Amino acid sequence: MTVTIAEAVDEALLPFPSSPDAHLTDPLTRATLRVQSHMLTATRAFLTARGFQELLPPIIGPVTDPGIRGSKQVDVDFYGHKYKMMTSAILYKQASLLAFDKIFYIAPNVRLEPLETAVTHRHLAEFHQIDVEIRDARREDAMDLAEQLVTHVVAEVVSRMPAELDLLGRDTDALREIFAGAFGRVGHQQATAELIGLGHPQDPAAEIDWQGEEIVSARADRPFFITDYPKGSRGFYDKENTEQPGVLRNFDLIAPEGYGELASGSEREHDYATLVTRMRETGENPAKYGWYLDLARRGIPASSGFGIGLERFTRYVTGRQAAWQASAYPKLPGVVSA
Amino acid sequence: MSTALVADGFPEEQVRQRARQGAGAVFPAEAGYGTGLLGAVPAPSPEGAGYDPEDVLERIRIVPPVFMPERLKKLIDLAREPLYSDVELDTVIGGFTSRLPLYVSAFGSTRAASHDLGEAAGRQAGALGVPLVIGENVVPVNGYRSAGEAGASPLLGRIAAYAEAADDEHGGVVVQQSTEDADAEVWNLVYSDPVTEPLLATGRLAFELKVGQGAKPGLGGLTLLDRETAEQVAEQYSLDEVFGAGSGQVLRVASPGTFTEEILRQQIRLMRNNFPRARVWVKLHPGRDVAHAAATAWAAGADSVTVDGAEGGTAWAPTGFLAHVGLPLADCLRRVGRTDHCLLASGRMWEGTRAVKALALGARAVGLGRAALLAVDEDREAGLTRLVEALALELRMLTSAVGKYHVNALAPEDLLLPDRWEGPPAAPGAA
Repeated sequence: MTVTIAEAVDEALLPFPSSPDAHLTDPLTRATLRVQSHMLTATRAFLTARGFQELLPPIIGPVTDPGIRGSKQVDVDFYGHKYKMMTSAILYKQASLLAFDKIFYIAPNVRLEPLETAVTHRHLAEFHQIDVEIRDARREDAMDLAEQLVTHVVAEVVSRMPAELDLLGRDTDALREIFAGAFGRVGHQQATAELIGLGHPQDPAAEIDWQGEEIVSARADRPFFITDYPKGSRGFYDKENTEQPGVLRNFDLIAPEGYGELASGSEREHDYATLVTRMRETGENPAKYGWYLDLARRGIPASSGFGIGLERFTRYVTGRQAAWQASAYPKLPGVVSA
Repeated sequence: MSTALVADGFPEEQVRQRARQGAGAVFPAEAGYGTGLLGAVPAPSPEGAGYDPEDVLERIRIVPPVFMPERLKKLIDLAREPLYSDVELDTVIGGFTSRLPLYVSAFGSTRAASHDLGEAAGRQAGALGVPLVIGENVVPVNGYRSAGEAGASPLLGRIAAYAEAADDEHGGVVVQQSTEDADAEVWNLVYSDPVTEPLLATGRLAFELKVGQGAKPGLGGLTLLDRETAEQVAEQYSLDEVFGAGSGQVLRVASPGTFTEEILRQQIRLMRNNFPRARVWVKLHPGRDVAHAAATAWAAGADSVTVDGAEGGTAWAPTGFLAHVGLPLADCLRRVGRTDHCLLASGRMWEGTRAVKALALGARAVGLGRAALLAVDEDREAGLTRLVEALALELRMLTSAVGKYHVNALAPEDLLLPDRWEGPPAAPGAA
């Protein structure tokens, strides 16, 4: 299984549906979407029971999460002003903590990813995130919650939807490995060293690249965290470790079996002057972030949070080959479709 | 042919002549090259238009030796006496393989560089196999494109013109972005555009972080806009009514952006992280700490650092800045010193002697800015090609004259430097 997935990326594109009906009437698509629906129900139940307030996410705004790994934002002409579709609602997540201490969204995002990502089996131009933010929380609190949430959702699907998993051919023994113990935690530096040791040319100063992420994922039996990404690999809102300058208080959650990254999260920067400085370090023009910086000047709460990619999470749970198979109307980078 | 552009203080006529005449123009008129049709050819005297006696680079002399052991090696290699035509000019510029130690600098968005001049330069640079830098401001001022009108975009038009004319191995396109361009997300737009894919696939796309420019160190972009265009960009840019409310023109003012050592380092690392298939170039203004800034950029992983001397620039700048602000190119090169990293130099480059001096002082290649613009203005089809042919001939002759047969072998020993050249930098703040 592991090997099959890891090798699949080097192969040609999976046949992408030529029309929506071919995709929608496929029994495998329908089973995948039923599992996804149940995953959302389980997510909402889990978070609501822990005092989280669900909010409806914003779709457009004057700014959004700045370009991530070369992805492009979509402009919206808002009565003559240039607005953006949300690439992620991170800025609004922080602001929402002024109203509630714990919030979550099931948020749609649009990122026009680089063309080469069309073959990673993980990238969609339109996707959804389970977006969680917790006031006055540390990174470790967010990691613990992400671990519990993912484990809970997998348990719900395994116990309640065996027929769907059977139809989909999901290796449930491999999936059940998630219950075998706590998720591992490895620093970015160590993960990089391991990749280089395996002969993969990973840049120690950068994000783990897509191929590297798949390699570490394929070698794991259970989900695990990579922590402490270097500054320069993430957005300005990931807090820098005051005791380890250049290291961010953030994490990625990586699925096993070659499925790759499921979630990203961090302790957030909320200090006004630090935010402005970090914006410059990430090449941003602070003037563009007017409403957010005004808010930060008046004070936004300290927090930690994360976003789980719903289609990727669904792919992992259902064992599908590509994240687009977990979307009713998939949008692959550069591919024109319904 | 056109004479729409004027470049006061620059050897405009010599450049235009080379754009018309090509390599023959490197010889004096009495040699009789191609004068029949065009009339008298002015001698390429350094005392001619645009010569600045205060320019240290101009006063440095190129000094061939008598004994030439490298020439002996070449003789043994060839089994005949080597000629200047045996000099190899190919080199690696910021991760690109280039046929010549030259690149075409950004023209920017000033009216001087708009319309078809940019595409003409792109086409010729592509055919010559040398890198082309496309200036910041092209997107914020002229727009990227709306769906279905790729041909209307100056940026994509220049990229497409270059890619069509180039082979798959030589040269490359460098897309600049300054602080205020970040709003327009030029790099993100370019990186995922299908027009760029052939260049990415062959490792021939770079992004250049523009920290500053030679013509106005410490200042950001200054562009004259007519009122109608100004209103379109009023939300993104500051406008200054320096010419009065009655004037039809408005000054668009951009910030150069705030840089510290950490900000520069992190911006470069973010570029490497976000655009792993693109090379990273950095353009510095001639600041007194240029050596420190260049070292910071290389340490952060920049493939190339360009120093733009105070003599440089197609940019529109206040006259006081042009005359009095910033380090001359020679001083930039002295402060940065010889390096194994890729250092690029620009500032009044148009002919071979100045280029050879910059190369010998440590630059890997030199940038043609105003000269390239004038050359394509002179002849859209072949002006730049002819200018470069002349420059290449001079590079070969000068390099062989100092007994060397690859342009990368040029070194300070080939120059007669001013007496106080080795002294410590005069201004504080230099590293």
